[in-house]
Amino acid sequence: MSEWNPEDLDSVDFAVREHRSLWVDAWRRLISNRTARLGMAIVALFVLSAVLAHYFWDYDPRTDLDYSLKLKPPNLVATEEVASIHPFGTDKLGRDIFRRVVHGGWNSLRVGLVAVGISLSVGGLLGLIAGFFENITPSKAERVFLLGAIGLALGALASWIADQTLQMFLFAGIGIFAALREDLLEGRFMRTVLFGLLGLIVGAGLGMMASPYVAIVTGVLGLLTGVVLGLPIRGQLVTTIIMRAMDILLAFPTYLLAIAIVAFLGPGLEKGMIAIGVVGIPIYARLVRSTVISVVQKEYILAAQATGEGHGRIIFRHILPNTLSPVIVQTTMGLASAILSAAALGFLGLGAIPPEPEWGAILGASYRYLASGAWWAVTFPGLAIMLSVLGFNLLGDGLRDALDPKLQI
Amino acid sequence: MNAENGTLVEVKKLRKYFPIRRGIVIQRQVGAIKAVDGVTFDILRGETLGLVGETGCGKTTVGRTILQLYEPTGGEITFDGVNLSDLEGGDLRRIRSRMQMIFQDPYASLNPRMTVGSIIGAPLDVHGVPDGQSKHDRIQDMLELVGLSAYFVNRYPHEFSGGQRQRIGIARALALNPDLVICDEPISSLDVSIQAQVVNLLEELQDRLGLTYLFIAHDLSMVRHISDRMAVMYLGKIVELTDRDEIYLNPLHPYTQALMSAVPVPDPDVAAQRQRVILEGDIPSPADPPKGCNFNTRCPVATDICFVEDPEYLEVEKGHWVACHLVKPEGIEATPH
Amino acid sequence: MTQLLEIKDLKTRFYTDEGVVHAVNGISYDMEVGETLGIVGESGCGKSVHALSIMRLIPSPPGKIVAGEIIFDKDRNLLEISSSEMRHIRGAEIAMVFQDPMTSLNPVYTVGDQIVEALRLHQGMTEAESRERARELLEMVGVPAAAQRLDDYPHQFSGGMRQRAMIAMALSCDPKLLIADEPTTALDVTIQAQIVDLVRRLQEQLGMAIMWITHDLGVVAELAKTINVMYAGYIIERGPVRSIYKSTRHPYTLGLLGSLPRLDEAPGTKLLSIPGLPPDLVALPKGCPFAARCSYRVEQCLEEMPPLERTDDDHTVACWRWEAVAEEVNA
Repeated sequence: MSEWNPEDLDSVDFAVREHRSLWVDAWRRLISNRTARLGMAIVALFVLSAVLAHYFWDYDPRTDLDYSLKLKPPNLVATEEVASIHPFGTDKLGRDIFRRVVHGGWNSLRVGLVAVGISLSVGGLLGLIAGFFENITPSKAERVFLLGAIGLALGALASWIADQTLQMFLFAGIGIFAALREDLLEGRFMRTVLFGLLGLIVGAGLGMMASPYVAIVTGVLGLLTGVVLGLPIRGQLVTTIIMRAMDILLAFPTYLLAIAIVAFLGPGLEKGMIAIGVVGIPIYARLVRSTVISVVQKEYILAAQATGEGHGRIIFRHILPNTLSPVIVQTTMGLASAILSAAALGFLGLGAIPPEPEWGAILGASYRYLASGAWWAVTFPGLAIMLSVLGFNLLGDGLRDALDPKLQI
Repeated sequence: MNAENGTLVEVKKLRKYFPIRRGIVIQRQVGAIKAVDGVTFDILRGETLGLVGETGCGKTTVGRTILQLYEPTGGEITFDGVNLSDLEGGDLRRIRSRMQMIFQDPYASLNPRMTVGSIIGAPLDVHGVPDGQSKHDRIQDMLELVGLSAYFVNRYPHEFSGGQRQRIGIARALALNPDLVICDEPISSLDVSIQAQVVNLLEELQDRLGLTYLFIAHDLSMVRHISDRMAVMYLGKIVELTDRDEIYLNPLHPYTQALMSAVPVPDPDVAAQRQRVILEGDIPSPADPPKGCNFNTRCPVATDICFVEDPEYLEVEKGHWVACHLVKPEGIEATPH
Repeated sequence: MTQLLEIKDLKTRFYTDEGVVHAVNGISYDMEVGETLGIVGESGCGKSVHALSIMRLIPSPPGKIVAGEIIFDKDRNLLEISSSEMRHIRGAEIAMVFQDPMTSLNPVYTVGDQIVEALRLHQGMTEAESRERARELLEMVGVPAAAQRLDDYPHQFSGGMRQRAMIAMALSCDPKLLIADEPTTALDVTIQAQIVDLVRRLQEQLGMAIMWITHDLGVVAELAKTINVMYAGYIIERGPVRSIYKSTRHPYTLGLLGSLPRLDEAPGTKLLSIPGLPPDLVALPKGCPFAARCSYRVEQCLEEMPPLERTDDDHTVACWRWEAVAEEVNA
């Protein structure tokens, strides 16, 4: 113990904890967790094999076909009957299942990443806006942006029905006008009437160009949109609109909604990604909103406002870094469920288009041969799905424990 | 007290109501929480004004409204001769840099993802101090000023104890050389021995930098210790305001008297002797304050008029303001001792 | 006077990732029937952990009582009896009231149900009897319109009323010992005064012993008969209340008293603050844990932990330099 003078009030700096950043702490906790390590190993195996196979092991599914090797069981040494080695056996077209499973991994990884990317970016942005403005009054410029965006989003429906892009931009214009002229008939019923009428004119008027029936539908939609845009804009209004829209999305069963979207867009791996991504939006929106709300109510946000920091700075310096932990956990878990959803779509023939290798599609094409004893044709792709989902979930659980602020002393 | 230097802050009939809204999409206002309901006081340059009161009395709201963190519902706040409600944009931001705040919870008031240096530097960034040596020096000076080593700039808040974090919060508040510092319960979440360190530091800084404090707390003896004058709040209103000795020797409002007698004294002899006024019941909800005087539901000496009419806030002696029907400017009637 | 509780060399530790937290480091004391004992200390001094150790409510893992005896009511060692016996003692013989009245009541049951539940569990009363008793209890702790308020949910109670309900629940089975862990810290001063007054009245009426754990030297000054001052898991000073405040013998207690502003202080009084921070309980220093912050420190303090030493009648202190402190206090 070093000598110091106890009279010296300024010497409060002798006992500080060891210097490490929160992320280093979290990493340390993560690698000390056995299940998280297992999860990491599985995920690493899956990612590495998929990436390496994609770049260094050429595979053209369209030319991969050999009826002489149809439904051969797994072999690890070449025999007279089967000259080549097939550790996972072959399928009904004589294709090597090992090779297809490994290449299928690349597709699953892609679907997972892109779908989660869509859910996270759209859902995260919506959740951020909803959570932030629920507690903090938007500035004038922000109100213009928000009402414009709401007009654009609500107008999009009418726009789509009437097949006129112009409509949604006109609604966005009404929104911007409403935000700029907040003083117009403020607090009076006439304001609602005025903006309702404006919406009706835009909706019905443009709708007439398509057909009178369309005009009726878009007119009603326009009226409602106009009424909403005419409301006194407060943060809570924005939150309400966003979160009720998310509730509507959540009201559909996940897979049914994904299937409906694919049915609408047409099958294909890319369409599947979009469908799974859209279905995931409300999950991230809710998560980010609730996290943002808990951060916004912290005193350091008040402290930032007290020093005069602007909204952008508060969001990027204070809010986003503090919402990362739950988002990282949810993203990891989300990858697992996106892979699972992709496999389900593939199994139903709505995801990857044959002969493109994809785990669900491989399963879907082979399960009929189970009865004739070809267990390997379903076991290995099934195992791949199960293991990768397990790996991401274990890693997600480990991350949750590692990042949980309750454990931070 | 430096009364000759004049008034720094003048608050007149300040009101802040928080609307209570109901409804799913279209929300209607169904009532209001009257957090601050007509508060008048001023803060002299270089003094410490204590603001004491129990949970929900509106003392924190007063502080935040002065800082313009909340928009006042009514009334006027004048800072150094400028009416704050007239200001917008850049002017408001400039004047805001002269008023800073120290927060209650040293754990929640520092962003855990930012280093100490960037926390203290944030107000400098916002008010246009460019990155560079002088900013860096300023941050280190601030750390040393509050009794921390300049060597801590790259550390994170979780590496510090509560008292040290509160020092970081003080350094942040002082970075822009403010005139007024609003201390909102700055010590109530600290341990007793650390409280004294922080209070001594605040006093020392006031002497050195000529700061003016609005010291908000619920701990009457601590507020009395640090303040030159103090105001007692109850349910959105100031019930009594006078200097620190007068409030101890001659409390006039029945609530002040009860509050004074409820403060635990760390002395068994005194504790055994003194007479306590124990108030019945709880503080009413500020969403639904009683008719007449706010204190009438708990007042041991309330009379008929107290249930009908709201008492005026009057200067009964020089510098001694009270809002009570039973205390009249010409003399003192019915003081319950 | 008969002895109610005797604690011998109690040690409680927590085994965490950061290391072994030495929360309670061998404390010994006893309590008499009907006595009010104040336990004073700052956060992390082990005052709550030692109370939870008495109740055997230390979360395990990571916590563990590694040594000691807790003899309750003549001959029962609470650390050795079976867990079903302990469950009976908890609530029926030793009751506890916690700091946060907001979270210690279950929000999904009415206040009445929660008191009735405690009564039926320990007293085997019928529904009707226990409801009647619950009403009596609420009346006793000063809840107005007790009969109606039985059917209220905790959120309909104010903080002070909830703490009253908690006390009613704790008293439902006539405990011999009531452990109150910072029961008024979360409350306002005027409400705190009500609760302190209530507890004092109830003690006169019912005669139970009370252990009042707090960081506030003010509250215990008017309540307690004996005071234990704790620091870093040790009892560093113990004595009759008057003696602790008036003839302080430990530099830490002296510092704590000096840190408190007095309501009747003269203008310009400076607070005596204790510099520095309490030690890290994971890495306690070799000698006296307070040595690093102590202005009376000598070489010996850094080498050896002082034993609890008797100064006069019932006043004991763990300090090598208590005589020097005494001289200064008397001067």
